[in-house]
Amino acid sequence: MTVKALYDYNYPSKDRPELFGDDMLVHVMWANNMMFCSAACFRAPKAMSFADFKSQMVDPWAASDPDYDPSSAREWQVNGEPFGADSDVSLADTGVGHKGLFSFRT
Amino acid sequence: MAKAKLSMRERYRLLTRDLDWEPTYVDPKKVYPYTRYEGIKIHDWDAWDDPFRLTIDSYCKYQAEKDKKLYAVIDGFAQGQGHLSLTDARYVNSLKLFLQGVTPLEYQAHRHFGYLARHLDGPGARFAALCQSIDELRHTQTEIHTISQYNKYYGGLHNWSRMHDRVWYLSVPKSFFDDGLSAGPFEFLTAISFSFEYFLTNLLFVPFMSGASFNGDLATMTFGFSAQSDESRHMTLGLEVLKFMLEQDEDNVPIIQDWVDKWFWRGYRLLGLVAAMMDYMLPRKIMSWKEAFELYLEQQMLEGLFPDLEYYGIRPPRHVEQAITEKEYMSHQVYWILYQFSFAASFNTTVPTDEELDWMSGAYPETFDRFYRPLWERARRLEEEGNRFFFRGLPMLCQTCQIPMGFSEPGDPSTLSIRTSQFRGERFNFCSDGCKWIFDREPEKYVQAWLPVHQIYQGNCGGTTIPEVLNWYGIQDGVDNGEYLTSPDKANWDKWHTGAVVGGA
Repeated sequence: MTVKALYDYNYPSKDRPELFGDDMLVHVMWANNMMFCSAACFRAPKAMSFADFKSQMVDPWAASDPDYDPSSAREWQVNGEPFGADSDVSLADTGVGHKGLFSFRT
Repeated sequence: MAKAKLSMRERYRLLTRDLDWEPTYVDPKKVYPYTRYEGIKIHDWDAWDDPFRLTIDSYCKYQAEKDKKLYAVIDGFAQGQGHLSLTDARYVNSLKLFLQGVTPLEYQAHRHFGYLARHLDGPGARFAALCQSIDELRHTQTEIHTISQYNKYYGGLHNWSRMHDRVWYLSVPKSFFDDGLSAGPFEFLTAISFSFEYFLTNLLFVPFMSGASFNGDLATMTFGFSAQSDESRHMTLGLEVLKFMLEQDEDNVPIIQDWVDKWFWRGYRLLGLVAAMMDYMLPRKIMSWKEAFELYLEQQMLEGLFPDLEYYGIRPPRHVEQAITEKEYMSHQVYWILYQFSFAASFNTTVPTDEELDWMSGAYPETFDRFYRPLWERARRLEEEGNRFFFRGLPMLCQTCQIPMGFSEPGDPSTLSIRTSQFRGERFNFCSDGCKWIFDREPEKYVQAWLPVHQIYQGNCGGTTIPEVLNWYGIQDGVDNGEYLTSPDKANWDKWHTGAVVGGA
């Protein structure tokens, strides 16, 4: 079904990937910690390694919970599929995609 | 001998029907260009039956009398320092939410009913829209005047109009209403007159106004009384408009069913803010969200209204069973979001008192002690250790309702619900089956959503740091936002109630 309108109704997405240039939006969810009401949203370079993404963006956010131990994050998933959390792979190559979701457990 | 005065019914007929004419030298479709493209078929606009039959003079007379009473009370409230009689300064947070979130919607409703007063084909319907347009403007003004009394003494109330256009949690009511404004006239009537003003109104209006009455807020309570007769007129109109559309043509039924489904879920998600307000922002509770939902939605609507609508072929809204499941925990999920993001809100949040935690255990025996009490107890410990818990980052947002995605899988509060859709190769995220369903019906519309988090990341909100964004929002850091216990509102309230002599400001 499409929008009913009196004219050709066709507008671009407000968050289309090109608006973020060399970056992308990525979500991260700490799956078994209810202290965080929702997953977090980050803007990160597509070329950033997963290790850097984790240490520079995910760890400071997860440390909102003072009990967070960065070495305890495990059972990573990308968009619901198991993910090895390989350190060197770039965010783009993880396959997470613009506005996709990583999750982990502790 | 003077001619006998016309009856009110006769004057109404003359005003609406007698002053109307059929256009002859311009095609009626050009005079009323917006009432066909949605697919709704109206064969006889004269079948419109306005249940109130107000005329301009009687309408103005009633409204003037109500205004006179309201402004007398507001004057008395101001002169007698009425704000000091509240149960607690914490209560004012619900007024902040109301002024920032609801008052701008009243104004938008005023504008759009003005548009309908021009563009509906039938004179009775146009006149009803005109009256409602004036009502909504009056409500906007009286709400501003009432709540302004508190702006002299409390934070967070000074910049509500700008905030409504910019702040993340206010994009929830704003996007809801914009969705209606940008729809056709019949969808707007279903969305606002029926779904919002009839189906869900008691869950919005009663909690705020009863909350005012229970918490010593005489000014807002009086505003509520002043608006009540208008609201009951709007409610009647909402049901009338729905039945009118359904009776005009059988082909209208599936279109309207779709709108009933959509606008139930849109409205219900918006009411998440009311649920959080009821259970957490009122120092003296009226009833729990769960009780209100059972009374106003399950009993009055699902058991009262929908059996009647079955006659027209309308069934209860899609996804309503998920809302029923959520009544056990929805308010806790929403306030938990507000609690940890209140560093970026124009109100204060805090951990409920022990008495309140116990009240919640009683009100939510299935879920509170198991899932939420441990969170609040931990949040309190952290606060006492000087480490007040905030979410240090930005949240994932639902593309449709725009609320941070803090809702859980139905019936499982410990697992967050995340739904996705692909459209033109792009991924979109949703908090629930209802929000995904709404997107999938009209993806071209919702891809344009102004999502506050994504806008911040695009650099469109004054900068990328929290102070820059707060400045752009018009929120004064350390005054309007954050923890209640360390807020100026709390400090002032304590000062005003110590009994010590306080001079000056």
